[in-house]
Amino acid sequence: MENNAEMYWTGLSPDEAREALVNKDKSMRDKRMSLKEAVDKFIKDGDNVGVGGFVNIRQPIAITHEMVRHGFKDLTLSWQSAGLGPDYLAGAMMVDDSHFSIKRVEIAYWAHESFGLSPMFRYLAERGKIELEDWSNYNMSARFKAGSMGLPFIPTRGPMAGDIPSSCRTKIMDCPFTGRPIALLPASNPDVAIIHVNAADKYGNCIIRGTDCTCAEIAMASARTIITCEQLVSHELITSSPKEVGIPFPAVDAVVEVPYGAYPGLCRRHYYFNGDHIRELHAAAAVMCKGEPADKLKAYYDKYIFGVESFEGFLEQFPLSKLLADQKAEAYNCERLA
Amino acid sequence: MTASTDYTAQEIIVVAGAKILENNKIVFVGTGLPMVAALLAKRTHAPGLIPVFEAGAVGPPLEVGLPISVGDSKTITGACYAKGLNAAFEMTQRGFADFDFIGGAEVDMYGNLNSTMIGDFPGGYQTPKVRLPGSGGASDMAASCERTILIVPHDKRKFSEKLQYVTSPGHLDGSPNARFKAGMQGKGPYRVITTKGIFDFEEESKRMRLIHTFPGETVESIQANTGFELLVADNVSEFTAPTQEEVRMIREDIDPNGAFVKRA
Repeated sequence: MENNAEMYWTGLSPDEAREALVNKDKSMRDKRMSLKEAVDKFIKDGDNVGVGGFVNIRQPIAITHEMVRHGFKDLTLSWQSAGLGPDYLAGAMMVDDSHFSIKRVEIAYWAHESFGLSPMFRYLAERGKIELEDWSNYNMSARFKAGSMGLPFIPTRGPMAGDIPSSCRTKIMDCPFTGRPIALLPASNPDVAIIHVNAADKYGNCIIRGTDCTCAEIAMASARTIITCEQLVSHELITSSPKEVGIPFPAVDAVVEVPYGAYPGLCRRHYYFNGDHIRELHAAAAVMCKGEPADKLKAYYDKYIFGVESFEGFLEQFPLSKLLADQKAEAYNCERLA
Repeated sequence: MTASTDYTAQEIIVVAGAKILENNKIVFVGTGLPMVAALLAKRTHAPGLIPVFEAGAVGPPLEVGLPISVGDSKTITGACYAKGLNAAFEMTQRGFADFDFIGGAEVDMYGNLNSTMIGDFPGGYQTPKVRLPGSGGASDMAASCERTILIVPHDKRKFSEKLQYVTSPGHLDGSPNARFKAGMQGKGPYRVITTKGIFDFEEESKRMRLIHTFPGETVESIQANTGFELLVADNVSEFTAPTQEEVRMIREDIDPNGAFVKRA
């Protein structure tokens, strides 16, 4: 049996997470509100924020933009693999860390696959500006799952050996049944989950298309959940196939209809990646890794985030032809009759 | 089959990767060149190959084109099963994945892989010299799939005696039963494909062993570019250059936009 890092809870402890649900209003009520209201009401300084999606798929981009406009301090961010969502939060910190700051990340991967590394992650990590805790994709997914199951930990067959066990709070123990080493991962119960889905009703029953990522687990593990959706639909339509409901209403606190809410990333059935825009954002941040000041990144934020009232103002800056082209590219991926 | 005369380093990696994959097996495919190799294998000798992507898709035909992410919508279309990350990784833990196919920044002689950081670990963990993306699902695949295929561009600094960080465990220190004793499943690293050749792992010592040199390379030229002492198989042979048709398929059919296979 091997003891690693000292244990401490970075979101809610399992008992606190239980208590948060005990005290929650679980009524089936209308949870529609503006994104501004949702972010202001349900996210606090110092929160552990569970980020939905996977790399640039169905990331809660509109929510991160609103968080940037609002300003938050000392957030802990938790996810498995992410790209644009944390990039937008981290970029805000690079522009002005008195307005927005991240204290810590608990993650498996922060980059962009074919779109390369994240200059934001490199900038903050290489300068020691954020606390790092490395896990794997399955580790983080299983930690959220443990949180969603109401368990304090979950056994998994990794991380074993290598350096991940000494970069995180896993404990490797001898299995009481087989006698072989097994990893025990502490549950993750974030204070708040930020998640974009395909469809939801006003109560927060959600339908997800394409990969589920780890969204249901994050929502069920968190004390509060903000949902943005491509399409707000009637309760009757959502419940016409109850087994398709990925996140049930009692786990949800706010529902906001935000078409293109994961753009310039991908949302299954709605739009494919806008790689050009991902590169534009990265180019503005990458120069800071080479020691240049924040001018270019600040100009990006002023134009696309601070200079607009809402996510619609961000979308208005893309030519209609581009938005349609990205919609068409995704339509090719999942051909359907109109 | 006419040999190609203008194939690139990445193209020969893809062709080599495709040939290692076996028909009717389940392969957990990482992002990048492994995707291109899996597609090439499916369109040539292994039509029954079943790709699994860690974001959840199992067995998609990949007929709507090359995914550029393991969660890409293109992995979902036509998939037999598509849930989320937990479901996919639970399958590897259970033993459903015959192969996994991953890449990294740095590899050692036992097939351990680094994709986390360049710098001093543990002292400099919180201030890495270069911060890389992190494990993603690679360490999960390396720990629990049955056989691991690695792709690492060949470079003396990337083939190191000692890794700066071990993200994905391979044969660990090469000692007998090291993986089993550490609690892992699966046989560990099976092949390494680089820009210079193909390697396996010698059964007793678990050390990396050269089995095929790529055209233009020799045992000596490859050793000279490797930061540790390589074992060399008795019957080491030259890998056949990609055919014109294989190169055409990569360029025109599989990755026409050069998402992962660069033209230069």
